[in-house]
Amino acid sequence: MITALIPLPIAIPLIAAAFIALTGNWIGRRACDTLAIATSSTNIVLTILILRGTWLHTQVYWFGNWWPRGDNVVLGISFTIDAIGASLAVLTTVLTTAGLIFAWKIFEDTENHFQPLMLIFMAAMCGFAYTGDLFNLFVFFELMSVSAFALCGLKTLEPAPLQGAFNFAVVNTVGAFMILIGIALLYARTGALNFAQVGRSLGTHPADALVLLSLLFISVGYLAKAAIVPFHFWLADAHAVAPSPVCVLFSGVMVELGIYAVARVYATIFQGALSAHTSQLREIFLVTAAITALVGGFMCYAEHHLKRLLAFSTISHAGLMLAGVALLTPKALAGLFIYVLSHGVIKGGLFLCAGIVLHRLQRIGESHLHGCGRGMWFTAALFILGAWGLAGAAPFGTLLGESMISDAAKTFQQDWVKYIFMFVEIITAAAVLRVTFRIFFGWGKPAPTDESSQVEELPETKKQQAGETPAVMFVPAAVLILLGVCITAIPQLRSVAQANADSFLNQTAYAREVLNNAQLPAPTLQPSEAITSSIVRSSIAGLMALLLALGTVFRDRLGAILNFTRGLERGNAAVRKLHSGHPGDYVAWLTFGTALLGGMFVWWLR
Amino acid sequence: MMTSHAPYFIAAWIFLWGLYGIVTSKNLVHQVVCLAILQTSTYVLLLAIGFKVGGTAPVFADIPVGTVVVDPLVQALMLTDVVVEATVMALLLSMVVKANELAGTVDPEELRILTG
Amino acid sequence: MSSRSRVVLFLVSAAGLAAIFAWGFRDLPPMGDYRGPYGYALTQVAVYERHATDVVNAINYDYRGFDTLEEEFILFASVMGVLLIFRPAKGGKGDDDEKKKRQTQIDDDLPISDSLRVSMQGMAGIMIVFGVYIAAHGQLTPGGGFQGGVILASVPLVVYLSGNWRAFEQIISNPLVKIAECGGAAGYAVIGISALFFGAHFLTNIVPLGVTGDPFSAGTIALISLSVGAEVTGGFVLLMHVYLQEIIEERLGKKS
Repeated sequence: MITALIPLPIAIPLIAAAFIALTGNWIGRRACDTLAIATSSTNIVLTILILRGTWLHTQVYWFGNWWPRGDNVVLGISFTIDAIGASLAVLTTVLTTAGLIFAWKIFEDTENHFQPLMLIFMAAMCGFAYTGDLFNLFVFFELMSVSAFALCGLKTLEPAPLQGAFNFAVVNTVGAFMILIGIALLYARTGALNFAQVGRSLGTHPADALVLLSLLFISVGYLAKAAIVPFHFWLADAHAVAPSPVCVLFSGVMVELGIYAVARVYATIFQGALSAHTSQLREIFLVTAAITALVGGFMCYAEHHLKRLLAFSTISHAGLMLAGVALLTPKALAGLFIYVLSHGVIKGGLFLCAGIVLHRLQRIGESHLHGCGRGMWFTAALFILGAWGLAGAAPFGTLLGESMISDAAKTFQQDWVKYIFMFVEIITAAAVLRVTFRIFFGWGKPAPTDESSQVEELPETKKQQAGETPAVMFVPAAVLILLGVCITAIPQLRSVAQANADSFLNQTAYAREVLNNAQLPAPTLQPSEAITSSIVRSSIAGLMALLLALGTVFRDRLGAILNFTRGLERGNAAVRKLHSGHPGDYVAWLTFGTALLGGMFVWWLR
Repeated sequence: MMTSHAPYFIAAWIFLWGLYGIVTSKNLVHQVVCLAILQTSTYVLLLAIGFKVGGTAPVFADIPVGTVVVDPLVQALMLTDVVVEATVMALLLSMVVKANELAGTVDPEELRILTG
Repeated sequence: MSSRSRVVLFLVSAAGLAAIFAWGFRDLPPMGDYRGPYGYALTQVAVYERHATDVVNAINYDYRGFDTLEEEFILFASVMGVLLIFRPAKGGKGDDDEKKKRQTQIDDDLPISDSLRVSMQGMAGIMIVFGVYIAAHGQLTPGGGFQGGVILASVPLVVYLSGNWRAFEQIISNPLVKIAECGGAAGYAVIGISALFFGAHFLTNIVPLGVTGDPFSAGTIALISLSVGAEVTGGFVLLMHVYLQEIIEERLGKKS
């Protein structure tokens, strides 16, 4: 039954976008907004129905009725949907609807080009999560990127947004061309573009130089989107200038889709060819993940521009997500996707709260806003709840994700992964709490100013309306953060995630389902394990985050022992200078990262 | 080996030159054009992969089906790439023009507003 | 980072990357020895199954038609993005200075020679016919919607070159341009959805296929090709409108 529904989450928003673009000036702003919100709400329903249909088995949909020929030659494009991809699509539609509702009150002058771009962005991300074809993945990646570039540079009254969008565009486009080279190399070797066919064709022959090169280029391209160090420089610039509803989508789902793509491409194509070197691959990516988490965490605490702070916390959480992929085992993958879903809604809610701050207080730098938020109790409460969620504490879904990933890490003697998790949780939650204490409670002295917080973001709404927070802004933010809690209420979430991760990593079963139209039996669900140690760890993390935030805010009163917080807040000057805003720098680091990763592949994976 | 693999190495050479251009550029318009040059390396690679010696164009309007033709699929992929490149360049150039209008410069060194 | 350290970092990394390229590209099959099954299978079956003689366009609009739908929307999204970035700003800075700068530039333009004017106006008609021909014969010969659309979109430029500002301004600000762009974009998706009503999957070729070699053959390939041609024409003319709008207004204002 749901087969007929599968192309609709992509086709309907595209048609609606063209319609709004055509008739926008005649039907007026409110009609365009309503139409956009109606389309994305319809998409929520459609993607949830598709998720229900793929909860425990995979759906394969061949476009143009082009079924594979002779069991091994694929002529058309397929959508191969499992619960993991379907849930990412649900996340996309939910975040887009929240962003569109939030945007009801802002952007008086975009001539109705904003809503079509958001709809196209949403359609592209849904297609990205569903597809089963290498080149189709690339085309959706480009569609997603182009609409993201345009949305990022939306505020054209100042040059800073254009610089941010330009840096974003240059780095991501270089990454996209690398992906294309990787696809061309795989095509040269196997003569195919479908994941299953390429995977079956590469089989379990040991990976030679060509296969490793294509793995390198495809990974670098998608990891650049996922903002992994040293490909991460564009993210903070883009978030600092993009409007709040757009930041929600960037941090909530676009970055995570890069991680998903790496996982999917590895699982369906490279897994067999690299089976002899799984442990080396695991270590390479775990080290990269750890470096990303650490750099992101330290830079997060050193930021005083609210959106850049949240952007760096996304970078460090992206490092954690890469760690989930890097372990290359079903349990970690299951934990990863639960983490992605929870983190997406919580981070989206936090960005909407930052948008509320920009609306009410008309500025976004922590030092300028000291104490100005007194009286905005509900927004402060949402910030504190969001920080609690970033700390991975109960009852948020991030706790479940972290526990599964840490358990999986223990089985490979990589116990240190849980300490990286704790570090990221403590420092990012502490950063959000510190900001809350300073802005909303006015505790302590004003924050030190730095260069980045001097870049003021122009307010998105008019000053006369800044007296109160309208419901269209507050309700989506609150709903998103509460969804981070509600995820834990889904019955048998961890068991279903584990079963789906098992089939995600089962390369031969995937190929049989896609190419031979095999109907595999529904998997049996295993009971999930206790998470007491994770609850203890995350409660400690939450407590330490609170203490760190309080210590930073009150350090002048509490004595010299807390002077290290001053250093933490200033950050490492050398590392900060590297984030220079110059696109040539960013591309130089991208080349360096590619060469380094390539060198590691050549050395260890041959 | 050299002649049969030469187009691939040419593609790699163009790719690295495009990257060099982006890294050392002092003008945003120049950077965008270097990005376009980077893209052409993927065209060379794709078309070289699809070539078949003695093959003609994959259009059967005046030749019978079954004659040796070059691979049509890489040409289809390349058509998609050309459109993608043209559109991304258009968007980037519009950002550069607007940034010049607002800040009066196209030098990335002078335009470094977002840092740290 | 200083300019020197950036270049040094890059050159070191590029040397490493070049070595990795050389190491990896050796394993590619030598050029001219394409073996893969995908392209080979398509050249065997495309003419019979879809009555289209141009296999590249059969791939673009039918076998991998979904990719082309997304690609068309990439063009749509970037045109939308350019319109968004160039939208008239309310209360922005630098508007008046900009107008004064443009004024001085236009004051010293050269007169258009007669031979240029006549030849360009003659070219315009020929290019329109050629563009429509290319867009309509996508399924038979190399060409198709994208190529024909670009040719058609160059016609206003030729009119501009011939010095006829008024005709150029009328062409590019005609509402039909926007209708062509949005209609072409949506039309492709609508053709895809219409297949769903016949019980087939999205973008299945459900229109009668006709005789191979006829102008009206290959079913939806021809329709999609025309739809894409409309969208590309509309998109590029809109881009022209946005980029050249201020200059054209100055020229027209100067003349009248």
